[in-house]
Amino acid sequence: MKPRHILLAGAMAVAANMAFADCTNTVPVKTISNAFPAYEIMTGVMAGCGNVESELDKDHRLKIVDAFSANPSLYSMTSLTNSTSVPMIDADLLRPLDDLIAAHGASLNPHQFIEIDGKTMAIAAFANTQHLMYREDILSDLGIAVPTTWDEYIAAAEKIQAAGVVDYPIGHYMKDGWNLAFVFVNHYLGEGGEFFNADWTPSIDNEKGMAVLERMAKLGTLMDPEYLVSDTTFVTKQMQQGKIAMANLWASRAGAVNDPAESTVSGKVVMAAGLRGAERIASTIWWDGWAIAKNISDEEAAAAMKLIVASMAEDVIQANNDDAIWLAKGFVPGDAAKGAFDTAAGDAVPYPMNKYIGSMHSALGSGLAAFMTGDKDAAATLADIEAAYVSDAKEKGLLK
Amino acid sequence: MKKKTFAIFVGPSVFMMVLFIAAPLLSVLWQSFHVTQPVYEQVEVEICTPGLLGSVCTTEMKTRPLLNDNGKILTETTFVGLQSYRNVIEPDKLRTAIARGSWRDLMNIRFWSALRFTLVFTILTLPLVLGTGLLIALAVNNTLQRIKGPVIFVSLLPFIITPVIGALSIRWLFLGDGILTAGLEWWLDRDIAMFAQAWTIELMMYIYRVWHVAPFAFVVFYAGLQTVNNDALEAAIIDGATRWQRLRYVIIPHLMPLVIFLTLIHLMDAYRVFEEIVGFSASAHVISLQWLTYEFLLQDGTGARAISRASASAILTMIGIAILLGVPLRRVWREQRGS
Amino acid sequence: MSSSALRQPMSLKALSNGFLAFWCFVAAFPIIWIAVMSFKTPVDAFDSNPFRVIFGPHTRANIGGLSIIDIILGLALAWILVRQAILWLPGKVAEYSPDGRTGIPWLIGGGVYALASLALLVVVLPAALTVLNPLLGPLGTNILGLTTGHYEAVWIDRGFTRNFANSMIVTTGVVMVSLTVGTLAGYGLARSDSVIAFWLLVVALVFRALPHSVLVSGYLPYFITSAEWLAPIFGDGAPTFYGKPWAIIAVLVAINQPFTIWMLRSFFLNIPAELDEAARVDGCSHFGAFRRVIVPVMWPGVITTGLFSFLLAYNDFLVTSLLLDAQNMTMVPAIANMFNRETTASDEVQAIAAAVSITAPLFVLVLVFQRQIVSGLTAGAVKG
Repeated sequence: MKPRHILLAGAMAVAANMAFADCTNTVPVKTISNAFPAYEIMTGVMAGCGNVESELDKDHRLKIVDAFSANPSLYSMTSLTNSTSVPMIDADLLRPLDDLIAAHGASLNPHQFIEIDGKTMAIAAFANTQHLMYREDILSDLGIAVPTTWDEYIAAAEKIQAAGVVDYPIGHYMKDGWNLAFVFVNHYLGEGGEFFNADWTPSIDNEKGMAVLERMAKLGTLMDPEYLVSDTTFVTKQMQQGKIAMANLWASRAGAVNDPAESTVSGKVVMAAGLRGAERIASTIWWDGWAIAKNISDEEAAAAMKLIVASMAEDVIQANNDDAIWLAKGFVPGDAAKGAFDTAAGDAVPYPMNKYIGSMHSALGSGLAAFMTGDKDAAATLADIEAAYVSDAKEKGLLK
Repeated sequence: MKKKTFAIFVGPSVFMMVLFIAAPLLSVLWQSFHVTQPVYEQVEVEICTPGLLGSVCTTEMKTRPLLNDNGKILTETTFVGLQSYRNVIEPDKLRTAIARGSWRDLMNIRFWSALRFTLVFTILTLPLVLGTGLLIALAVNNTLQRIKGPVIFVSLLPFIITPVIGALSIRWLFLGDGILTAGLEWWLDRDIAMFAQAWTIELMMYIYRVWHVAPFAFVVFYAGLQTVNNDALEAAIIDGATRWQRLRYVIIPHLMPLVIFLTLIHLMDAYRVFEEIVGFSASAHVISLQWLTYEFLLQDGTGARAISRASASAILTMIGIAILLGVPLRRVWREQRGS
Repeated sequence: MSSSALRQPMSLKALSNGFLAFWCFVAAFPIIWIAVMSFKTPVDAFDSNPFRVIFGPHTRANIGGLSIIDIILGLALAWILVRQAILWLPGKVAEYSPDGRTGIPWLIGGGVYALASLALLVVVLPAALTVLNPLLGPLGTNILGLTTGHYEAVWIDRGFTRNFANSMIVTTGVVMVSLTVGTLAGYGLARSDSVIAFWLLVVALVFRALPHSVLVSGYLPYFITSAEWLAPIFGDGAPTFYGKPWAIIAVLVAINQPFTIWMLRSFFLNIPAELDEAARVDGCSHFGAFRRVIVPVMWPGVITTGLFSFLLAYNDFLVTSLLLDAQNMTMVPAIANMFNRETTASDEVQAIAAAVSITAPLFVLVLVFQRQIVSGLTAGAVKG
């Protein structure tokens, strides 16, 4: 064990040294970000440049709005995604980056920029989405074609269940709360549904909503009955232990299911595009990246910008190619990224960037479990969720 | 003791409690009657976001909060009376459910189902904790002097272990094919999923709470047993009292003040049940009142919180505790005023 | 209870001891089990067959493990160490604590002894066994899979030592401040029969019952912006509370005050008031009486109360996770963070290893103070 560790540390030091050959930083910079492996890599590179303090916290979203409203801001930069960017932009806490990009960001890809009314507010580092992962051996043994739609997926799952080769044919992140709601959001978009009317009143209580609930209930019967506690890690583990044959999972987990150190089925799992609903692929595209605080000195902001650029340098990306679906230059999509690229090449849409979906997502999160456990019927569930959304949006001032 | 001396002794403690408990409490009370909202405007914006293959640009109507002169979000606060409380307890749905006489409808209202679980949890675990604690105390008191030390040590483990870790370790034993679930399956020869239905999760939460808290009851009772009056016991033996009668008429009355003490502590802690819900991921099946508050407080994906409803729900929780504590407190009250 | 009339029939004894054995098993099993899991690779740790978890075939095949001779020698050494701790250590400690107060000498002595034992078990023994094992044939082949890799990852790669140090700072701070403030208040309340004192106790009881999540999230915005709203008072040097250990100490002390003052008050009630009145007749002020009469006899109650403060501070999750930044994070939220990030199975076993690590100091604490807990409670701290 020990020698391997030392070797690993040595290898990392070499990789890091390579990357921060020209990024010496003299201005103290503080970062806060989510705790994904990709952020560990990037903040690791930044730390090598000197004078950087990094905080990796999966609950960072609870803090960043307050922390960035302080003057001076408690952090120089933060990680952002589709949804966490909304309150930051609304409260005008982010610094437009166009000048800084012009000065320091020549090596960035233009499609990494998040632009609001022509002003760049954040720089994406990597993308994420959800797509099909399946056990190649099981599907070919049973002569099942790779499913492309949810209906085919369910049919395939039933065949696998009948063959009895695994404990449960599929796994799905249906943990009560955010995950369960996210499944609904994806499927509803896949059915071509619109969450809101023109005046932002809810509109999920319709045939499309009913169809999604019906499908979710059907999926429930094909999974481990404990699916209401199953989050992404749980599904990944099911896959690694060979308990399931297929899953529609986050692209960021594609590496782990084939990792020989953790998986008993490594090499047997193949990635494919996200599954289609009636209208489009029922997956959403997410971006993850950095933004710089408004309430800091220009000097600190420039230092932060240089660090961001250094953390996405081509050699960093090349050294960590398979740890994320990088958007920066130097990324070569491998087998693990195939599913994500096929999903994006299809018609999957980005997760919406507005306040209403936040409120709707919470209402779904606390309202759907009662349907899945059978305590409520589909019609009552959808009606109650709409009512919960209205009451929540009214309290938050979003609806009159 | 003079008032001034008393004030100096108590001052620091009172100051800290006022600053960190009383002040937030008052602000919670105030917030439960008010709603603070940003002032919004509708604007059309063009947004470009990164896709894997290139940027995706859309133009959409966005609701954006207005900023004031200091660059902060402009908010307005309005007095809403009991509206937030109504939003929490949903009286309309309550009335329909009662009119229909439907327990299922009632349990589909979040507040009432949370109240149901919290009350059952508190009241059911109380005798279990007291009973288990007393049994262990009697058994330890009864055992060989030499092994008392190690036994007390092992017995205290569930109490001292970090609650988050304790709940997680129980969870690992049962989740999926955790070894205890696997053991149960092997023993009963059937497929078992402990996290798939409400009653098994509830059962695990009861067991966990008793496992976690009974050691405290044990050590308190055990300390109490060390001060039982031997003369009274021997007198009882001379009178021909059986073992059970001695327990019933000498030991238990002696421990009565401790029972009250433990009851008070247990009611307060159990009514706030929260760690179990998180640790066992129970929220799909059962929720507690503090979980409900927490859920309102939780920011949604875009950073907004339902502060007013959270405050109302917190105040309702406090009222509940106050009512529950009323019974044992009346006794303490009489004793304190009497002495 | 030596009276022959109190002697019990065999059946009752068997029943009582049987129940005790069952309880001890239930109490210890989850903790022992996670300790076993923490030494295996993820594949073994999460296996549904308990024997595979215990023997760890995957761990043995991929990393290594223990042979019969390892286990025998290891257990023998551990047994000797424990025996020495019971038989030899107390004498040594008593030797170095002339005034009969054994609390701090115990902590130091116990700590040094524990570290020395750990060094023997983890460094010296394995080194000796690497030489010995190949010479012994079948006795020297590994039968039990075991890896300390997760502990190395947690303590070395992930810098858990810093979290440990932070935990120690916060815990020590809370215990000290809480006891100082609480002892004064508890004494004042015990010696006053005014209406204010009574109401203060009732209000404290209500505070004890408050749901913490409400309080804590109320602090967050004020803590983060404290530099701004304190600026009028302190000028440019106004501190930011957010992320500062001392701010957390203040919050935890306040949250713990109701319990502390109730405990200490009922303890002081058991010290006869005549004692300090006599001292005051001799010309002492209230503080003088407190210092000369009460302080020397209050330790059993203070130690017991201190232990409860320690547990609260050490085990706290809600306050520390929300109000501390990464640099000052204590152990419990750090572990929760390990679970909640995009976890892989090895992350999870690392978190288990961290969970076991965090429990170890609690073990030592209870081992050392066990007698004081019982005697402190017996001395009257729970009579309120």
